[in-house]
Amino acid sequence: MRSDDRSRGLPPAALRWALIAIVVVLWEVLPRVGAIPALFLPPLSESLRILVTDWPAYASALWVTLREVCVALLLVCCGGILGGAVLGSVPALRALLLPVASSLFAVPIVIVYPILTVWFGIGPASKIAFATLGGFFPTLLATAAGIRTIDPNLLLAARSMGASLPQLVVRVIIPAAIPTVLAGLRLGGVLAIVGVVVSEMLISDAGIGYLVTSYRTVLDSPHVFAAVLLIVLVTLLFDTLARWLEYRAAAWQPQSRRGWRRAPRGAADDVTAVT
Amino acid sequence: MVRCMADVIQHPASAARAAGAAGSIQVTGLSHAYASGGGPMEALADIDFTVGTGRFVVIVGPSGCGKSSLLMMLAGLRQQTAGSILCGNRPVTGPDPDRIGVVFQDANLFPWLTALDNVAFPLALRRVKPAERRRRALDMLRMVGLENFAARHPHELSGGMRQRVSIARGLVQDPPVLLMDEPFAALDEQTRMTMGEELLRIWAATRKTVVFVTHSLQEAVFLADEVLVMSARPGRIIDRIEVDLPRPRTYAMMAELHFARLRDRIWQHIRSSHAL
Repeated sequence: MRSDDRSRGLPPAALRWALIAIVVVLWEVLPRVGAIPALFLPPLSESLRILVTDWPAYASALWVTLREVCVALLLVCCGGILGGAVLGSVPALRALLLPVASSLFAVPIVIVYPILTVWFGIGPASKIAFATLGGFFPTLLATAAGIRTIDPNLLLAARSMGASLPQLVVRVIIPAAIPTVLAGLRLGGVLAIVGVVVSEMLISDAGIGYLVTSYRTVLDSPHVFAAVLLIVLVTLLFDTLARWLEYRAAAWQPQSRRGWRRAPRGAADDVTAVT
Repeated sequence: MVRCMADVIQHPASAARAAGAAGSIQVTGLSHAYASGGGPMEALADIDFTVGTGRFVVIVGPSGCGKSSLLMMLAGLRQQTAGSILCGNRPVTGPDPDRIGVVFQDANLFPWLTALDNVAFPLALRRVKPAERRRRALDMLRMVGLENFAARHPHELSGGMRQRVSIARGLVQDPPVLLMDEPFAALDEQTRMTMGEELLRIWAATRKTVVFVTHSLQEAVFLADEVLVMSARPGRIIDRIEVDLPRPRTYAMMAELHFARLRDRIWQHIRSSHAL
């Protein structure tokens, strides 16, 4: 059934790269020939050139943003995973708080950002608080789900082999929950990055988001797009890292549940047919 | 458990007696009731039986008769309401992998571990050194014929292979008793028949005491030295059938009149139990 996919033209990976190449070319060509005003979309090379010539300014802004993102990610990891673990393993607490957490996840938290600036000032602290809030709920919910959906038969089997409670946690509960937790963390991490950039764009005095806003107000599109390129790069980097981690942690799962890339099919499929 | 060990050390005579009967099981006056909407529900009543060391005993009964609950109590994974369970002359108060290995219906392998690490898991819990763990787990995998699949994860194995890994895991600590809770119920019929033969081969090689729960009459007669037949809820033992077919057992025996008579005797009990 899989050979059908293969026989139909280019493999998906090649097609993906081709699409990216087309976008890059259009980005350069369309503004150059005047199909799109350079104010709306400056040529790609123009933004890249600015990124190089104005690198010191961009680098210091990137440094500010990355620092905020890292602290927020750390807080999201600790808070979200710990909270989710507690929520997932204590049924009474789960019944009480999980519906609240799910509902809060749906609230657009941008509305609380002005309040956070009052509390924490316009420096990094308010950005970190805002981003942590954004990444917290998906991580919390995923961890709670990961713990709750552990097969009780695995716990029973481990108990029959004499596992103590700490051994159950370390050797069964954590490994069983890791794939779900990492999937939640990937989503939470991306939302944390979004949170930092958005809050920098709203009220701040430094960072990539701040650069975007300040160049936008003077209609300097090439500089705005240079900043956008940097943010895209940071996000892609994080996503790749998170997916690689997820792939490594889920190496034991059936192929269909692994996202990173398609591993070669095991010979066991053929063996099982014989046995 | 530690206390029991101390007792044995203090009384050499009882230690000697325990060694001779290490694989024996003695169940006396066992009852179990659980709370339900309309008051306590009696699941098991007045269960008495003894299993001698090295015997293969199969428990059959209609579904819902509590045979799996009974096995969980033998394994120390569930507490009975009344009565006592002795294994090797010492009471069973909780899971004790030194005395009792358990094989579950769905193999219950840890999907993130390889076959080898699954078999070695009970040893890892005991902090056995990695090299020693690996050696013993490989020995067990070899015994169940899966040494070439040591590095595979459970999802890469067939149902029958998974159950064989599970048997290897149950035996890796060399307990005198192996409890099996409908281990082949989820397998297709052909695999199931092969696994029955395979289990008898392993049993003959290790001489463990086996208590095996199933709802298949054919499987019961094929495997057992003795079949305990249970009634519908509350589960009681209503018959003990000594299976005097010679060993090694072969599939040809299933066609014999004696095999059919034994199976029929169990079926009569279960049918009348259903009629209730």
